Amino acid sequence: MLQLKKIYKWVNNGNHRIFLLKDIHLDVNEGEFISIMGPSGSGKSTLLNVIGMLDGFDEGEYHFSGTSVHQLKEKQRASLYKQYIGFVFQAYHLIDELTVYENIETPLLYQNIKGSERKAMVADILDRFNIVAKKDLFPAQLSGGQQQLVGIARALIAKPKLLLADEPTGNLNSKQGEEIMELFRQLNKEGMTIIQVTHSEKNAAYGNRIVNLLDGMISNA
Amino acid sequence: MFKNYIKIAYRNIRKNKLFSAINILGLSLGITTCFIIIMYVQDELSYDKFNKNADDIVRVVFRADINGGKINESVVMAPVAQTMKKDFPEVQDATRILNYGSSKILYQDKVFKDTRFAFADPNLFSIFTLPMIEGDAKTALLQPHTVVITQSTAKKYFGEEGSLGKMLNVFVGKTAAFKDSFELYKVTGVIKDIPVNSHFHFDMFGSMIGYADATSDSWMSGGYHTYLLLKPGTNLRKTEAGFLAMVKKYMGPQIQQQMGLNLEQFTGKGNSLAFMLQPLTDIHLHSDTNNEFEPGGNAMYAYIFAGVAAFMLIVACINFINLSTAGASKRAKEVGVRKVAGSNRSQLIKQFLSESILITLLALIIAFVWVQLALPVFNSISDKQLGFNAKTAIAFIGLGLIVGITAGIYPALYLSSFKPAAVLKGKLTANHKSFGLRSSLVVFQFFVSVSLIIGTIVVYQQMKYIQTKDLGYNKEQLITIPNSYALGKNEQVFKQQMLQDPRIVSATTSWYKPAGPSNYNNGLAFPQGNDKQIVSGVDYHIDEQYIPTMGMQMISGRNFSKDFATDSSAIILNETAARALGWNALTAIGKTVIRQNSDKGDNFPFHVIGVIKNFNFRSLHETISPLYMTLQPEGGLIFKIKTTDVAGLLATMKRQWDSYKTEESFEYNFMDDLFNNTYATEQKTGTILNIFSILTIFVACLGLFGLATYTAEQRTKEIGIRKVLGASVTQITQMLSKEFVKLVLIASAIAFPVAWWAMSKWLQSFAYRINISWWVFITAGSAALLIALITVSVQAIKAATANPVKNLRTE
Repeated sequence: MLQLKKIYKWVNNGNHRIFLLKDIHLDVNEGEFISIMGPSGSGKSTLLNVIGMLDGFDEGEYHFSGTSVHQLKEKQRASLYKQYIGFVFQAYHLIDELTVYENIETPLLYQNIKGSERKAMVADILDRFNIVAKKDLFPAQLSGGQQQLVGIARALIAKPKLLLADEPTGNLNSKQGEEIMELFRQLNKEGMTIIQVTHSEKNAAYGNRIVNLLDGMISNA
Repeated sequence: MFKNYIKIAYRNIRKNKLFSAINILGLSLGITTCFIIIMYVQDELSYDKFNKNADDIVRVVFRADINGGKINESVVMAPVAQTMKKDFPEVQDATRILNYGSSKILYQDKVFKDTRFAFADPNLFSIFTLPMIEGDAKTALLQPHTVVITQSTAKKYFGEEGSLGKMLNVFVGKTAAFKDSFELYKVTGVIKDIPVNSHFHFDMFGSMIGYADATSDSWMSGGYHTYLLLKPGTNLRKTEAGFLAMVKKYMGPQIQQQMGLNLEQFTGKGNSLAFMLQPLTDIHLHSDTNNEFEPGGNAMYAYIFAGVAAFMLIVACINFINLSTAGASKRAKEVGVRKVAGSNRSQLIKQFLSESILITLLALIIAFVWVQLALPVFNSISDKQLGFNAKTAIAFIGLGLIVGITAGIYPALYLSSFKPAAVLKGKLTANHKSFGLRSSLVVFQFFVSVSLIIGTIVVYQQMKYIQTKDLGYNKEQLITIPNSYALGKNEQVFKQQMLQDPRIVSATTSWYKPAGPSNYNNGLAFPQGNDKQIVSGVDYHIDEQYIPTMGMQMISGRNFSKDFATDSSAIILNETAARALGWNALTAIGKTVIRQNSDKGDNFPFHVIGVIKNFNFRSLHETISPLYMTLQPEGGLIFKIKTTDVAGLLATMKRQWDSYKTEESFEYNFMDDLFNNTYATEQKTGTILNIFSILTIFVACLGLFGLATYTAEQRTKEIGIRKVLGASVTQITQMLSKEFVKLVLIASAIAFPVAWWAMSKWLQSFAYRINISWWVFITAGSAALLIALITVSVQAIKAATANPVKNLRTE
């Protein structure tokens, strides 16, 4: 599904060049559930952002579903990830001023989907995640686990092929965390490709492959 | 999608009530003032444009420089119109209006005194667009003794009856025995009322045909406002150049005959005379000629207002920009999430713009209410009749949209530029750039505020100076009775009667007043034996009581006196005249002055008996020119009164006046009122400038308050840590206020020279003016600083006194 080849990313600090990512090779096949692990500052989130096309890189090649991402312009890249990728964040990142319903609907607004169709899609996912009763509440009125549920629902609403999650349970208690991980496992079983960043061995075990990162380099594969 | 924009905009406005209120209040004030001024300026610029031929109509004006006296007249001689039409192919038609003033008119047993009457050529209605609703525009004024009246005059005179064919008695003058004399006029047409934005407003136009002087062939004098309809595209300067030949051909022989000089000799002595053309649409704002029908507007003040209003609006827009960018961190996450959710930049720009437009629309609604409330006040200050109509309403909404986009575009671009990967991690980069921009914008706001404060102080000082300047006479406690000539022989009886009243100090018989609107006779004089040294001056005809009554002072010699029979040929000069004639106050006494065009005949010798201290008899915009006073009391009374029981005195005067059973009613003016009226425009400007500067400072401070709030919010953690480390409330307050104080100081430093330059320019329009002293700048700067400091420290103190533990816990 996607392939990273010799990816380098760095920042210049005076005369020094500090590498954030160094010589990254990674192949991800459809249906995989990958956990990226590593200590703080090892480049986990950076790698996830590069995969998610939120961040660029300085050297190397990135192929996504047969498209060479490194050769695309900003706009084309945006439309590519809009279509294929969903994001889940540690801090949920819901828009405070929008209700649950509206938060979930937001990605659809940017894909020019008609109102009636949007309604059906949002209703569908609310139902599936069992949060129909919460649809008119604002994020501040929800618990952390519920917020993350909304965050995942929002990530999935546009039916992406790849779900990227940056420490999705980092702000949750263990019970809430387990529920989210169970949900991920379920999604993966249904065929969704998932890449998550995590600190927890336990969460990593939900996946079927672990990528260890140290100082911007993959230490095993 | 759009609904979503509006929804989130609405929720954001509600969530940030303080900042939304600041923005809406500031913008609505900006829009209100800007809109009123736009209406005002637009009204000033629209004068006479209602005429279909407006672009091709010009007025002929006469400019001359004769023996050093400048003549700029909006009226010309009777034959000019026809001659120009005949001799110049580009002149398609020409028409004349002769202002007859407010004439007394009788209809049956009713008397009307305030009808503005003019004589006009029959083709008036084919040149000016004055639609006729009854009668035939082509033929209405073809017959002598016909008159065309306006719709409201018709209503006033005849009520609902038809007007055509009605006969009116028009007052044409006094007979030798002081009896009123009338002529009969027949109404042959009714026109719509003349639009407000016309440079003339008459209630009646009598036919020029049959008015004897209209066919005069004199090129030496005349009072006809003359308008030409030119072929489209005519070059005015070229046509004016062609007038030289006309002057030579028609005016030359008459100059030769009257002055004994031919035109070459006349102009050879440094004299000049010319006919010039003035576009119709320039008359209201740009005309500088005498004998206008009505006082015109002032282009300079229109520009000043427009500039100030624009600044006011910019200051309000700046608030919006500053508060939006300062609050960017609050929106950063949303931007990041939306981008991750697939929004592209242009969609975000649209979203933020709809938000700013929504805020502007709310401001617009409030502004609409304010405009309604402010217009009556503004109209009374500015003497206008501005109001809403369909056209202005569209302009109003248009203005709102423009403001919304102007204010919103930069924040929209800025906010939409955030990189999602960065902002979602909580790192808001590139904030330094927007901090720099905010600082410069605050500097600009206070630059405008400080400049306006300086402007207001200088205008106030100059007005105060005018009020208290030693004018060379005492304008207080003087009552003038301008129409006392109407009493005829009883004028002097009235004067003697009133002099017996203990409330009256003295009285003088003279029509000449040093204040208020007056027409002056120009006198030409030269010292005996030197006819090359002709001095043009103003001619005052007074009696023996004039100088003491007015409180004027003799520098040398003596006042007119009944004790000297020869005083009928005596003259008193002012200092300027004495100097211009080659003497000083002492040497002038006893010299002989030859008056070229005196009432006693040409080249009549007068002997100088005194020199009077210079007094300002024109507006303080002008320097004091030479002045001649001769003993020749004429119509009009001036009383010096005591301040006790003025109302009672006026009642007594009126009673006395009415006992003579004259047609004219008792009218009076106080000299100091007349004086003040001369500076009405400046007073108005001062008032409006004052309001503007207060509003601008208020709006700027609103923004500053908002910014200070944000700064305090954003530095909550820093403040907490500093307090834990031992900083006092004062130190924290100082730390938070310092930045803003610096900005206001920079703004003042820029404002000082700019305001000094602008106000010096304005002051130059006064011949008698104040010097701008340094303390004006210090006052303005400190005032702005103080207001800003109070605004900022309210927030700073609040942040500084908060419990640090609480602040740190929220982090």
